[in-house]
Amino acid sequence: MTETVAAPSPGLGLRNRFNELVRLTELDGRLLGMIVTLIAIEIGFGIYTGGNILNPVNLLTFVTQAIEIAILATGMVLVIVSRNIDLSVGSVLGVVAMVYAVLMHEVYPTTIGVNTPYGWLLALAAGMGLGVILGGIQGFLIAYAGIPSFVVTLGGLLAFRGLIFDISGGSTQAPDDKQFVTLGGGPLGSLGGTMSWVLGAILGVAIVAYLFYNRRQRRKFGFPLRPMWAEVGVAVGGILIVIFGVLVSNAYHWPIGLIKQYAAEHNISPNGLDFEAGIPWPLVILLVVTVAMTFLSTKRKFGRYVYAIGGNPEAAELGGINTRWTIMKIYILMGFLCAIAAAISSAQINGATNDLGQGYELLVISAAVIGGTSFAGGVGTIPGAVLGAIVIYALRYNLQFIGLPSNNQDIVIAIVLVAAVAFDTYTRRRST
Amino acid sequence: MRQRLAALAAVAVLALAACNGTGSSNAPTGGTPAASSGTAAGCVIGVSWNNYDQERWKKADEPAIKAAIAAGGGTYTSTDAHDSSDQQNKDIQTLVNQHVKVIILLAKDATAVLPAVTAAEQAGVQIIGYDRLIEDPKALYITFDNKRVGTIMAQTLLGVQPTGNYAIIKGDPGDPNAAFLRSGMDDGGLKDAVSSGKVKIVGEVNTPNWDTTGAKNEMQAILNANNNKVDAVLSENDGMATGVSQALQAVGLTIPLSGQDGDAAALNRVALGQQTVSVWKNAFALGETAGSAAIQMCGGTALADVKAPSDLPAATKPADLNTHDFTTPGNNTVKSIILNPTPILKANLADVITAGWVTKDQVCTGVAAGAVAACG
Repeated sequence: MTETVAAPSPGLGLRNRFNELVRLTELDGRLLGMIVTLIAIEIGFGIYTGGNILNPVNLLTFVTQAIEIAILATGMVLVIVSRNIDLSVGSVLGVVAMVYAVLMHEVYPTTIGVNTPYGWLLALAAGMGLGVILGGIQGFLIAYAGIPSFVVTLGGLLAFRGLIFDISGGSTQAPDDKQFVTLGGGPLGSLGGTMSWVLGAILGVAIVAYLFYNRRQRRKFGFPLRPMWAEVGVAVGGILIVIFGVLVSNAYHWPIGLIKQYAAEHNISPNGLDFEAGIPWPLVILLVVTVAMTFLSTKRKFGRYVYAIGGNPEAAELGGINTRWTIMKIYILMGFLCAIAAAISSAQINGATNDLGQGYELLVISAAVIGGTSFAGGVGTIPGAVLGAIVIYALRYNLQFIGLPSNNQDIVIAIVLVAAVAFDTYTRRRST
Repeated sequence: MRQRLAALAAVAVLALAACNGTGSSNAPTGGTPAASSGTAAGCVIGVSWNNYDQERWKKADEPAIKAAIAAGGGTYTSTDAHDSSDQQNKDIQTLVNQHVKVIILLAKDATAVLPAVTAAEQAGVQIIGYDRLIEDPKALYITFDNKRVGTIMAQTLLGVQPTGNYAIIKGDPGDPNAAFLRSGMDDGGLKDAVSSGKVKIVGEVNTPNWDTTGAKNEMQAILNANNNKVDAVLSENDGMATGVSQALQAVGLTIPLSGQDGDAAALNRVALGQQTVSVWKNAFALGETAGSAAIQMCGGTALADVKAPSDLPAATKPADLNTHDFTTPGNNTVKSIILNPTPILKANLADVITAGWVTKDQVCTGVAAGAVAACG
């Protein structure tokens, strides 16, 4: 079988030649744009603060703060792509978080005991089950009863928030099991220096292996190959990003109070003791969720169906896609993701409050939209939404850092949201 | 072109961040100790507001805290959690990253905020629990004596109406302050008056959310049940006293009524004779105390040695300026500075006007000339 390697068309100007080269790497232009935006934000604030803000701890902090919204945003992309909406994500997160806390705070002490090795896993399973059920109920009403998703999920937002009060009896519930709390991050909820490098190595190998596999599949089925320099470029770029991530995570060390505590517990001197915190568990969870959701949306039938429904619902239906079952699955998946995000939220406050998750739906939708998801349907990427969430929190954190009052922070984020969508609409109109 | 700029920008930032990374990898707290929003010599104090949009904080507490910090040579920075407990935890983390030395914390939820408080203390930051209790023995608790508010209410009303039928309109059942107030009323003579038969409690209700209309409806119900034979009403705050007052006026009753907070409408009622007392918490004094304590803690003073400012108004100043042990409901012992609330009666309305809490116009609307000393 003959091998075709893609190559830039001859005789183009310098600028177009550059664009062609980027196109040949097959990286999503919008995604690259998001990364550019993030870097530009950091550079801008870096210059403004004279370099102070470029401390890796700051970078790690706002990325960690963005994780719950980012996880929810991966599911929201599919919801919006399919021409629906989900306003209930904050309330579902709140209910599941309260269930986690009540289980570990009220049920466990008299049954299986607290801080058992498996208690947190049972709680997680229960929460995920609840998330799936709540998502399923909404999905059923939207897909099979034909009620508009805005109405159903608005009902969900109100009803589930009310349910939280019933479960908690009106008070805040705390604490969670110790093992559960590690899901929230922090120095005790991170991988540590060595394991972070191990994870980094695994990721690096995975990137290279995936590129090899991809090239082999293309050759096998006769698709045009990426030029070799593009393959190497993407591999090196990916590995550099992984190394950067591990370096940033390892730059965060255990605070002095924690080291003293550790030294006292292990009967050693705290002098000279120093631990790297490493990659926090919530970030690991986000990576797994992002990779899984991207895989689901691009390489599985389910994902392709969602985009087809979003692009043209009638054509999808006539083409034989079970649109109703697909939409119900979208909401079930969203409920499942709410349970994962709820675990991180609950772990971070070591319990659950009645107001946990309130207002999240708007941030999640903003993240998806900034990341390139369109309300017209059919368009949007998972990595874009994750980056969208990080951009929102980068802005928030940096603005807070330079001392801008919080109401003004909201104004800035609103401007960015609208500008991002306006820019996206403009480029899309230009390309058609 | 955009992509090319992007590539250059990417390389530049990667280089910058990596340099900063290796530079600080030896620091135990993972951050370059060099200046961010405060020099190593100066003292940066951060305030974590629960819900800054509420009027009181911007009007009274914040200016007082800022002034006290500036007087001590420190720098002020703040965050607003928009009434969200997990956002407050993130805010505390952000303040720690900004290298503040002390955090003045107005907690949205005293339990949920503990993980962030613990993490901050592990990073070497000190915490002041402002107005609301945090169950943390390492924090300094600065607040008003909530039980004493109830005591003052009962004492004042029993002073003008020692016998008769009393109604008690209490606040939200989930708010511990409501319970503090009620137990303070007992200490203020109510318990004795009831057991000696001088006073009969003809109605005692909780009001969800301290709601004004809810209080009005409850008062109407109590009046109806007793044929309007009610001689005094203990309302736990001014918002509810507004509702109670509406119910009383509807049946033409003017009887002794209490309140709390020093709301402008309530102070006006005091001037007009429709409310007997509003127990005022001088938020200016609270802010000044917290700011001054933060400066002392920043300079290395131990919690046991922190002193309240000596120039606090006499009515607000505690008996002595030292910190005292306070036993919390959760059985922790925290060091605390507890300020005294000020009863505002017709005779001393001038106090709230001179302190800048309300204007003379707000207090004196509709008052006949010469009827009230403060209104002239």
